[in-house]
Amino acid sequence: MQASAKVTVAKHDFLEGLGRCMKETTVIAPVKMKDGEVTFEPVRTAKQITFDYVNDHDPLKRFFMPAREELFSFQNARGKALLKSPPLPKPRVLFGIRSCDLQGLAHLDHFFQGAFEDQLYLQRRKSTLIISLACNEPLDTCFCICCNGGPFLESGFDLQLTDLGESFLVDIGSRAGRKFLDDWKVPCQTAKRKDEQLRQALMHKCDEKMIPTAYLAKACIQITNNRVREEVWDEMGAECFSCGGCTHVCPCCSCFDVFDCTEGETGQGTRYRCWDSCQYSGFTREASGHNPRAKAKERVKRRFYHKLSYAYIQQDGHPGCVGCGRCITVCEAFQQLDVPAVVKRLRRDG
Amino acid sequence: MGNLRMENIYLPDLALIDRIVDETSDTKTFTLHLADAAKNRRFRFKSGQFVEATVFGVGEAPFGFASNPHSPRQFDITVRAVGAVTHAMHVLKPGDYLGIRGPLGNNFPLDEVTGQDILFIAGGIGLPPLKSLIDPMLDRRAEFGQFIILYGARTPADRVYKPLLQEWRNRGDIQFLQTVDTPDAEWKDHVGVVTTLFEKVKLDIKRTVAFTCGPPIMIRFVIQDLLTMGFAEDRIISTLERYMKCGVGKCGHCAIGHKYICVDGPVFSYRQIKRLPER
Repeated sequence: MQASAKVTVAKHDFLEGLGRCMKETTVIAPVKMKDGEVTFEPVRTAKQITFDYVNDHDPLKRFFMPAREELFSFQNARGKALLKSPPLPKPRVLFGIRSCDLQGLAHLDHFFQGAFEDQLYLQRRKSTLIISLACNEPLDTCFCICCNGGPFLESGFDLQLTDLGESFLVDIGSRAGRKFLDDWKVPCQTAKRKDEQLRQALMHKCDEKMIPTAYLAKACIQITNNRVREEVWDEMGAECFSCGGCTHVCPCCSCFDVFDCTEGETGQGTRYRCWDSCQYSGFTREASGHNPRAKAKERVKRRFYHKLSYAYIQQDGHPGCVGCGRCITVCEAFQQLDVPAVVKRLRRDG
Repeated sequence: MGNLRMENIYLPDLALIDRIVDETSDTKTFTLHLADAAKNRRFRFKSGQFVEATVFGVGEAPFGFASNPHSPRQFDITVRAVGAVTHAMHVLKPGDYLGIRGPLGNNFPLDEVTGQDILFIAGGIGLPPLKSLIDPMLDRRAEFGQFIILYGARTPADRVYKPLLQEWRNRGDIQFLQTVDTPDAEWKDHVGVVTTLFEKVKLDIKRTVAFTCGPPIMIRFVIQDLLTMGFAEDRIISTLERYMKCGVGKCGHCAIGHKYICVDGPVFSYRQIKRLPER
C-alpha cells in the first residue's frame, strides 16, 4: 500500500486495536482529569481516552524534550570520572496529538538534526509512533491556518485520523503506520470519495472559525528589514513580565539550560538540561555581569526575530509558530504579547 | 538495552591536567591531554576553535584554545576565575581531570592570509585565542609580510604569557608593542589604551589583515579606528563571545540574530558582524 493511502475505520474498531496495542506498548493519549482538564499521559485501556478536548494546555513537545532531562550521570573517583549516558527510550505510541503540535515536532526535528545531532531528542522521536487527530473544531485561540500548522496535515504523522462521526478517515503516512493497523488487526475499508469530501467540508468549516487576523506576512517583512520602530519594542518591553510562559508553552521553542546536581559528598551526580527562556533576564548574562539583552524590550525583540524573521524561516524551513494559541492563554501581559497580538500590532504600525 | 554513549553530543571526554601556570592573580593556563590515548592521538584542532570544559558537579564553560595546533598531543586553555566553573578549575592540581568536549566552532583563516601583512590587536585575556594563531604563523614566519602584535592590559601584572611577551619583544622579525592603562614603578613601555599604539607602527593598509580579540569595548574602538584607517571590512577579523551552554548550536544562549556563536563562530569578519541584527 502506498504511503499516502487513505482508509476508513469504525471508531470502536480503531480503539479496540489501540487497546490491544496497549498490552505490549506504552500508549500516551488524552485523558480527562477529575477537575475536567484534559492532559496527555500513559493509559492502560482505551476507555480512559477522551475525545472531549481541543488541546492540552502544555505542548506535547514535553514527551520528546522533557522539561528536565538527564544528559549523563557521573561518578568522580580518584584520577578519573565514570560517565554514563541515559538509556535508549522504549518504543511507544502517541495517540491524539493535534496537527499544530505535530507541526511543532517537525520544527524541532529539523532543529535537533543539523551539524550536531541531538540523539536524546531524535531517539525519542524515532521510537514513538504518531497517531494524530486532525481538528474539526478550533478553540477561539486557534490560528493554525495562518502558520501552516493545521487543521489537517499532509505529512509528519504515521497515521492521521479525521473524525467523521461514526468512523475515522485514516491517512497512512508511513510504513510504521500501516504496520500498526496490520499488527493490531484494525479492520480497514478503502476510503470512498464521499469520505474525503466530508473531510474537506469539515476543514472549510473549521477554517472559518479561526482567528482571522494573525497573518504573519507583514510582521515577517517588518522584522526582517528592521523596520519596526524602537518605540513599538519599548512599549512591548514595558508590558512584558519576562515570565517565560510564552516560550515554555510554544511547540517550536527549545532553548535549554544545563546544570549539574550532586548527591552530597559522594562525588556522584547528574548533568541535566531543563527548559530555559530567552525572555528571562539571565538568559544572556555572562559571568562578568555583562548582559547583552538586559532589557525586556531586547528580549521581546529577540523572541519575535527568532519566530518571524526571514533569516530564521529560511534556516528552519518554517516560521517559529504553528498557531496553537497557547501563548494567548498564558501571556500575563493582558494578552498583548502573544503571536497574533504582536503580529497585529506590527501590521498596524505602518 | 543499548545506550547513547557513542552518539551523545553532550557527553565529555576525560582530560588530565599536565601543567598549570599562574599567569596573573586571577588567570591560569592549563595544559591538558585526553585520558584516552587513542582519542588523544586523533585529537586535532584549529586556531580559533574552542572546547567546553567540565568540572563534574559544578558545570561546564567554553574556552578558546591558547596553544599551537601543531603541538603534539597536548593543548592549553587560559582561564580567568570569574564564575563558578572557572573558580572550581583554579583549585585543581596537575594530575586532576576535567571533562572536555571539542574542538568546537569555526577557525581563523591561516592559509588564506599567507603573503599578507599581519596585525594583531589583543586586550587582556583576549590574547590567548589569538596566540593559537600567532604560534603557527610564527612557525611559518617567511610566508607573511610585516608582522605586528599590539597588546594592551590594565596593569603590567595583568598581562598573560609574560615570558613569551619578552621573547616576542626580542625577536627581530616581528614588531611587538605593549601598553598598560595603569603602569607600576618598573614599567618602561607604553601607557594608554591599545589603540594609542596604532600611531607607533607603519601599516600598509591594503595588504594587511587585522585580527583583534579582547573586551567588547576595546574591540569596538579598535574596529572603529581600523575602519577610519581604511581597512576593508572583510580584512578585520574578530571573535564574538556570548554566554554559552551547549557549544553545539542547540541550547540557544549564544544566538545573535540567526547565527550561533558556537557553531557559526566564534570567528567572524567585521563584514559578517556588521550584518548581525544585534551587536
